[in-house]
Amino acid sequence: MASTTPAAARTAPARARLSPRRRALISRVVQYAVLFVVLGIAALAIDWDNVGTNIFNPEAARAVLPQLPRAFLNTVTYTIAAFAVGIALGTLLALMRLSSVGLYRAIATAYVEFFRGIPALLFVLTVGFGVPFAFGVQFDSVVTKVAIGLGMVSAAYIAETLRAGLQAVPKGQVEAARSLGMSHTRTMVTIVIPQAFRIVLPPMTNEVILLTKDTALVFGLGLTAADFELTKIGSNALSSPAGGGMTALFVVGFCYLIITIPLGYLARRLEAKGARSRA
Amino acid sequence: MNATPPVVQIRDLHKSYGPREVLTGVDLTVAQGEVVCIIGPSGSGKSTLLRCVNQLETATAGSIVVLDTEITDPDVDIDVVRTHVGMVFQGFNLFAHLTVLENCAIAQRKVLKRSKDEAERIALQNLERVGLGDRGAAHPAQLSGGQQQRVAIARALSMDPQLMLFDEPTSALDPELVGDVLAVMRELAEGGMTMMVVTHEMAFAREVADRVVFIDGGVIVEQGPPTEVIGNPQEPRTRLFLERVLDPTRAHPRDKD
Repeated sequence: MASTTPAAARTAPARARLSPRRRALISRVVQYAVLFVVLGIAALAIDWDNVGTNIFNPEAARAVLPQLPRAFLNTVTYTIAAFAVGIALGTLLALMRLSSVGLYRAIATAYVEFFRGIPALLFVLTVGFGVPFAFGVQFDSVVTKVAIGLGMVSAAYIAETLRAGLQAVPKGQVEAARSLGMSHTRTMVTIVIPQAFRIVLPPMTNEVILLTKDTALVFGLGLTAADFELTKIGSNALSSPAGGGMTALFVVGFCYLIITIPLGYLARRLEAKGARSRA
Repeated sequence: MNATPPVVQIRDLHKSYGPREVLTGVDLTVAQGEVVCIIGPSGSGKSTLLRCVNQLETATAGSIVVLDTEITDPDVDIDVVRTHVGMVFQGFNLFAHLTVLENCAIAQRKVLKRSKDEAERIALQNLERVGLGDRGAAHPAQLSGGQQQRVAIARALSMDPQLMLFDEPTSALDPELVGDVLAVMRELAEGGMTMMVVTHEMAFAREVADRVVFIDGGVIVEQGPPTEVIGNPQEPRTRLFLERVLDPTRAHPRDKD
């Protein structure tokens, strides 16, 4: 296949050669052939009976089904709660990082470096157990704990994403707004922040998807059955006497995709809409 | 013209960026209803001068009085002054996330606290004035450069300014779109608006300006009625500049200075 690269073609001896188009065609045929051979070998190597009992076991799937709606709802609730905290705090931090007040910049930078650098699980545990233990503060609901724990971590990432977006808004937009008599704050709120949010829509979608999956970390809080989210259901089923092996993990994994794939689609739609008004 | 106090009074204005001096002592007065065109080679400081008038650039030294407010006073509330001073930029700078009508209404609502209905009515009036009354629902990106610049003018006019600043308003436009913008500006001038226009359009300066100011090297080299400054320049630097602008195919880099 190396012979199809331009560099190789240049150094190849000058003799009657196939045209680039024909070589590309042959290359494609070879690649498909190799791919099918690999897939064929994989299919033969798999023990399909074992897969039926341990991975795609219909009975085990039916067994976890009743727990799914509640867990699905909990996962979505945790995500929304954490994102609400993340976006609010993240916006504040992004503005602080761009502030003319040096102390704000220092605080925001320290915050971002700290929360970006520690494992999210560590902080979720801290909020769940460490803070009540150290300060005697009790968070009653799991949602509050998740919102604070995951929200504060994701705020660090969201702040960085938003800061890039704020800086990407052309300077002329600020000058136009200021020349119309808008104050600095008014300009940020009315002109800069709305445009920054449009710019960061794709990376922000990533943040939401990451957050959705990070809600799995709440297992560290020691939940009651009513607070179980999807991953907890899956991991409980692993050790259930009903068997089915990995089936439950596949089922809850599929549930995550039900959340994240439409989210990606929605983001692409919004992006296309924004592009229409810009292009 | 001397019946009312001047709209803009600049005294001994200096502006430097670090060690680089852009303006080195500019005195300029603009009277009520006067149209002043500022011309000069690129890098001469003419845009900087204009941007100092609404403090998009802060003067290094000297004083600027705009509409009876000394804006070089460090404690000035510049936002109040800016509501009376419209500005039109070379790059249009329309708010990309808002429709044309919203572009013209937003500052009225947020700054002048006009109601939504009133702001949109005034916005529409001004859009009609620049010939774009039917494009209110469009987004800026859907308009041509000339249309965008006319919206920018309507946006500034919606604030009922007493002074309009134009910073090379036609320099980013395709040649066939320049005329529409200049026609709007001419109409505005004929309506009695006080205007400061940084421009390379000598035909516009000659026909519309009450006074032409030629700036080079950070100072005003020559100023007066267009018939004199453009028609019969006295300073060699003005003459050289005009030759190069009016007859660019003849000018040769070799001949400079």
